[in-house]
Amino acid sequence: MRRFILTRLVQSLVALAILSVVVFALARATGDPLHLILPMVATEEDYANARRYLGLDRPLHLQYVKFVTNAVTGDFGISLRARRPVTDLIKERLPNSLKLAAFSMAVSMLLAFPLGVMAAVRKDTRTDRTAQVIAALGQSLPTFWVGIVLIEVVAGRLQWLPAGGTGSLAHYILPGFTLGWFVVAGMMRLLRSGMLDVLDAEYVKMARVKGVAERWVIWQHALKNALIPVVTFAGIYFAILVTTAIVVETVFAWPGIGRLAYEAITSRDFPVIQAVVLLTAAIVATVNLLVDCLYAFIDPRIRYAS
Amino acid sequence: MKPALRFAASLLVVSLLVAGPAWGQARPSGELTIALSSFSTEILDPVLGGHIVKFYLSLIFDYLVGVTPDGQPSKDNGVASRWEASPDHKRWTFHLRKGIRFHNGDALTADDVKFSLLRAMGKRSTTGYAGPLRALVQDIETPAPDRVVIVTKEPTLIIPPYLSRVLSTEGMILSKKYLEAKGDDHFARAPIGSGPYRFVEQVTGSHVKLEAVEGHWRLGTPKFKTVTFRLIPEETTRVAILRRGEADIIEISRDRVKEVERGGFPIFMRKDDSLLQMWWVQPWENTPVKDRRVREALNISIDRKELAATIFGGMADPGAIPFGLSWAFPDVNFKMTADVAYPYDPARAKKLLAEAGYGGGFPIEFYAFQLPGLPEGKAMAEAVAGYWQKIGVQPKLVPVDYGAFRKKWLDQSIPGAVGYYNMANRDWIGTYALIEKMAYTPSKTTTTKDPEIDGMVREVLRQTDREKINTLMRNIFLRLRSEHLGGPLVYLHTPYAASKKITKWNPGSVMYDLNIDELVTAR
Repeated sequence: MRRFILTRLVQSLVALAILSVVVFALARATGDPLHLILPMVATEEDYANARRYLGLDRPLHLQYVKFVTNAVTGDFGISLRARRPVTDLIKERLPNSLKLAAFSMAVSMLLAFPLGVMAAVRKDTRTDRTAQVIAALGQSLPTFWVGIVLIEVVAGRLQWLPAGGTGSLAHYILPGFTLGWFVVAGMMRLLRSGMLDVLDAEYVKMARVKGVAERWVIWQHALKNALIPVVTFAGIYFAILVTTAIVVETVFAWPGIGRLAYEAITSRDFPVIQAVVLLTAAIVATVNLLVDCLYAFIDPRIRYAS
Repeated sequence: MKPALRFAASLLVVSLLVAGPAWGQARPSGELTIALSSFSTEILDPVLGGHIVKFYLSLIFDYLVGVTPDGQPSKDNGVASRWEASPDHKRWTFHLRKGIRFHNGDALTADDVKFSLLRAMGKRSTTGYAGPLRALVQDIETPAPDRVVIVTKEPTLIIPPYLSRVLSTEGMILSKKYLEAKGDDHFARAPIGSGPYRFVEQVTGSHVKLEAVEGHWRLGTPKFKTVTFRLIPEETTRVAILRRGEADIIEISRDRVKEVERGGFPIFMRKDDSLLQMWWVQPWENTPVKDRRVREALNISIDRKELAATIFGGMADPGAIPFGLSWAFPDVNFKMTADVAYPYDPARAKKLLAEAGYGGGFPIEFYAFQLPGLPEGKAMAEAVAGYWQKIGVQPKLVPVDYGAFRKKWLDQSIPGAVGYYNMANRDWIGTYALIEKMAYTPSKTTTTKDPEIDGMVREVLRQTDREKINTLMRNIFLRLRSEHLGGPLVYLHTPYAASKKITKWNPGSVMYDLNIDELVTAR
């Protein structure tokens, strides 16, 4: 088991190292940030000064070495756009993304559980079909569109909830739902298929034969076992929510790392792009590692096969 | 009356007498919230943050030279209450207003002004006009705490406008003592100035919050206790927060103006906010646009009135002079007569192309991108391409982001291709600086190579006679127009929607400045 974890850890680190080269190169391939920072009337001297001050005049390989050696110590440099340490910006923004993702996740679970269970128990009924439609919509409607419609109708016309920004619990509802709907759909389908497998299992039939109440059979015997893949995937879903909230955070003016990434890309803020990409990759890698370990712990065939 | 009671009563009377004068003056109250689609760099430092952050910085800081909302230098609302030049125009003396204090209580003196200007001209500065100032200023003297003398290498007229609120951020006055004690990084997180609002909080990507300074020399006691600038990139969200009463002013695109107006929200317009200008990327030597007739044909085949009415929803006027910012026209007494307006004449355009040997048209790359404040960029590019197709030209639209285009433009790797920009309107000297960048051969960003214009551009800065400068500027405008050295499209007006509590506001026309002063002035 130890060897399995070590192998996975090394693989994750190699992936991050490769990613660091890719993101470093790609960020620079998009163009010169000074074209966006300096005004149209800036002189050649202004360009040269800014390039020197921001360390962009040094050869690329030296810039990369500096970036990597500093990143290892947690120093991602200074944001070109905000002129503040990148780590400060991430510290300011990451908690917002985590809080929104946690809220989304909680709402998703609360909706997905009853829907998934009901769909399985009432297979091929109207309830099942309704749940399937909800799932299909959740996975097919673009997040951007869902967000805009909710803002226009719920916040703008009906004025029930705030349209954007952070603050009270009410500010979480629209972005949380928009972000979480995709997860509701995924979780619900996962739970439905898990439940259908379990409801067909011998021990469930046995419980019924023994006269255990149907409600108890479903929520106690069946659900517990159907939950294993759902809980495992919940970790991955959470990582996805944190790292892919770029659209939701932009639409709802939510100052999280998704927005930070968007702002950094549009302004070619290399240090921030590099840090956010590596951070999100590290989050995904860590969650994947944990999930792998969990699987391996549950199913020994996996660890031996690797 | 018992002694204790008598003492308490006396205390009450004294307190009331002391507090008395304040009763007559309204205290700032409530909140003003302005939601915008972009904050530019979000750096709270006028020197390191660049010029576009001016809209909130001009509440935190005072300028050496103030301006009126229509852009005239003002002795009433700048740190300098008056200024004069030596007869040779090489020594500019600024007399500072007494009693101005920074938000930490320190007095603003000549040392602060000198420090601020040197910092603005320093190597790290990213302000718009640092370069020209650096080249021009020889020394800054402080003969008295309330007097600053700027010595220039050459005779000049540009010092007051360059250090005024009409242009960029070079003229903002910072505290020498505070910056030297705390350093740049601390200053960027907690700036202090001497303006009518002090900095309270910044959350990058979210908002900047400011709080009123009572009894401020420039605006008196401001009306609103706090002013918050919120960053909301998505327009639907901005409109929704306006409807919910969470914002008082929002930036709005031209195509949603009518809908929001129908909802009862007043619309305020920044007239002539910018000139939407096309140009042909250098070098042109081996491209069809080297021919004057082709440039004229490309210009007269565009129906600018239709463009203004459709793509820009009537919130624009036809443009006429390449790189001619309309704001500068009154400054230099340039009259916009009917004959300088571009006619819409596709038949003549075809004839001109045939005369130039391009009767069968020619391919031309048109880089189509969105710009801040110009969501209509791509639609405009498509419309212009459509006009050109009608006269046989074969435009190829290249969808790209502006940064990528700018790199190709500056690298001169796309000869003769079309680029465009919404150039913020500014006064004559700002316009001159822009022409010097965009239409002066030695400049790296030049889009023209015209010896006649080059000669006039060089001559302007040497002149200290305003009449001669005016003549030169007028001639530059006419030459740009007669040689068709670019494609001016429209003068854009920028709409803002407001909550019903905003009944009066002139957003002004000063570059990158929304004239929030008028909204917060209690007077």
